[in-house]
Amino acid sequence: MTAQTCTEKILSRAMGRPVEVGEIIHPEPDLVTVHDWYVVNFDQALQDFGVEALHAPDKVLISTDHEPLAVSAAAAERQKRVREIVAKYGITNFFDAGRGGHGHVFPMELGYIRPGMFVLAYDIHVTNFGAVGCLGIPLVTEISEVLACGTVWLRVPETIRVNLSGALQPGVSMRDIAQRLIVDLGADLADYTVIEYGGPALADIDFGGRMVLCNTPIEIGAKSALVESDDETRRFLESRVKGEVPEIRSDAGATFKAVLDYDLGALGPQVAAPPTPDNVVNIEEVAGKPVHYAFIGSCAAASLTDLQDAGRILKGRQVAPGVRLIITPGTQEMARQAAAQGLTEIFMNAGAMITAPGCGPCAGGRIGPMAPGEVSINTGTRNDSGRLGPRDSEIYLASPLTVAASAVAGQITDPREMLSKR
Amino acid sequence: MDWVFTGRCWKFGDNVGIDGDMMPLEFALTRETRPEVLREHLMTGLDPQFPDKVAPGDLIVAGKRFAQGNPHIQGLIGVAAHKLGLVVESIPRGSFRNVINAGVPILPHCAGVTGTVEDGDQLEVNFQTGVLKNLTQGTEHAYEPLDESLLEIIAVGGWRPMVRNRLAGLRAG
Repeated sequence: MTAQTCTEKILSRAMGRPVEVGEIIHPEPDLVTVHDWYVVNFDQALQDFGVEALHAPDKVLISTDHEPLAVSAAAAERQKRVREIVAKYGITNFFDAGRGGHGHVFPMELGYIRPGMFVLAYDIHVTNFGAVGCLGIPLVTEISEVLACGTVWLRVPETIRVNLSGALQPGVSMRDIAQRLIVDLGADLADYTVIEYGGPALADIDFGGRMVLCNTPIEIGAKSALVESDDETRRFLESRVKGEVPEIRSDAGATFKAVLDYDLGALGPQVAAPPTPDNVVNIEEVAGKPVHYAFIGSCAAASLTDLQDAGRILKGRQVAPGVRLIITPGTQEMARQAAAQGLTEIFMNAGAMITAPGCGPCAGGRIGPMAPGEVSINTGTRNDSGRLGPRDSEIYLASPLTVAASAVAGQITDPREMLSKR
Repeated sequence: MDWVFTGRCWKFGDNVGIDGDMMPLEFALTRETRPEVLREHLMTGLDPQFPDKVAPGDLIVAGKRFAQGNPHIQGLIGVAAHKLGLVVESIPRGSFRNVINAGVPILPHCAGVTGTVEDGDQLEVNFQTGVLKNLTQGTEHAYEPLDESLLEIIAVGGWRPMVRNRLAGLRAG
């Protein structure tokens, strides 16, 4: 039997036969995820097609995360319709406002996602599930076809293998690495591929670090990303999944489009300047830029580690006058843990605001938008103009450490300066 | 469906944007999907007279990352409305799916093709075999055609008709 990558193994299992790169296949997913904002749309599409029942409602998971706290009458009405639609189709895996939190995160906490699983989703950042060795592929509107018919066509992708080595410098987090890595990979190489992580440094990278590594490649056109499973995967999942934790690793001799060795110790803090997530510079190039709006959260910073990093900076410090800092825990569970660990108290003392778990402002700025002409530094996924409301605002993306330090200083600030003063 | 397109070459460079270059962004934001509306605005970000000059069977030949950007389908509905074919050096994943969903014939991996044709050349492209004949210059190149299953989606007119057919098949058992 031919040596296979993780992705080829997962898709071969889903098809019940070995698959080959470039082949068009119709694999049935183990789970389909859709978020609050698209439920009304897929219901409309299914009605247009005359579809009254889903192919497999027990394999569908719906989460209210893009706007858990409805901030308009229209949003409240939409939430009501989502509840009606979920009941109509008999979808039992429904996590309403205030239940799970971010749909790209809590399914891993709650044991829905296992190594080797295959998930299809509406939303592009389903790739987060790669943190535990699951292949999550986004489809956008074609998710309606999967809900109705059970499958959709996919081209078996090539894989780029990234071997991580070395240790992070103090004041640097996996967000910095993940941001710079997509620049070094480049859109031309990454397009239509799965980014697979392994290497000696993996053992020291926790769940949160793995999530952000799997989150950023989609911004340059990768099809998905995943981390091969290891002892840390098993440690994270063994109390969460039923039965044995499965394993997924590429075979020795599997064929990769490219193999990249990446040294975690080579980088300082990185910032993505407007207008794209891959416009990444060393922090020295933008330090000193005044900011008005800081935000820590989104599926690119949705772990307890991210909140702990913010706490390391904010403990005993205040957000600068004229700056607002919004913190969105990834999930209900993380918000609870943040409170238990004293982080919530640190954030309140610093003058920060905590929102309902979920996407936070990153979901298009419906919650807590910016004002025209303002500058933001935040941990969101994208920095296109208009992402947080007005088109004439500027968005810089950085790690929770850098965002917290910048919120305290009122300008883009290297977090190493503040950490060294402890 | 006749897979052989014969027509004028409309040549573009790298990084043609799906929003702005191919179609004004406002149509994506308002979720406009009527072909008769979108056809009047195709490629006007790069050539304001484009919708008046093209004819069915003409071919858009473009460089790398054609239709790059947030994968909105509106520009590709515009291409379908004019019955044009696409020959490109590369296309990002999201827009590639939209090309198929809009029912547009395409050769998606034509490395170096923009170096072999000039704007205005008369071309003959067979989307089933991948053979491009440049009738003006007397040259011929072969590229990788689409998988048969994707050609079938294009042949029935794109995603919506294909899903209707699938569902009819499922209901018939």
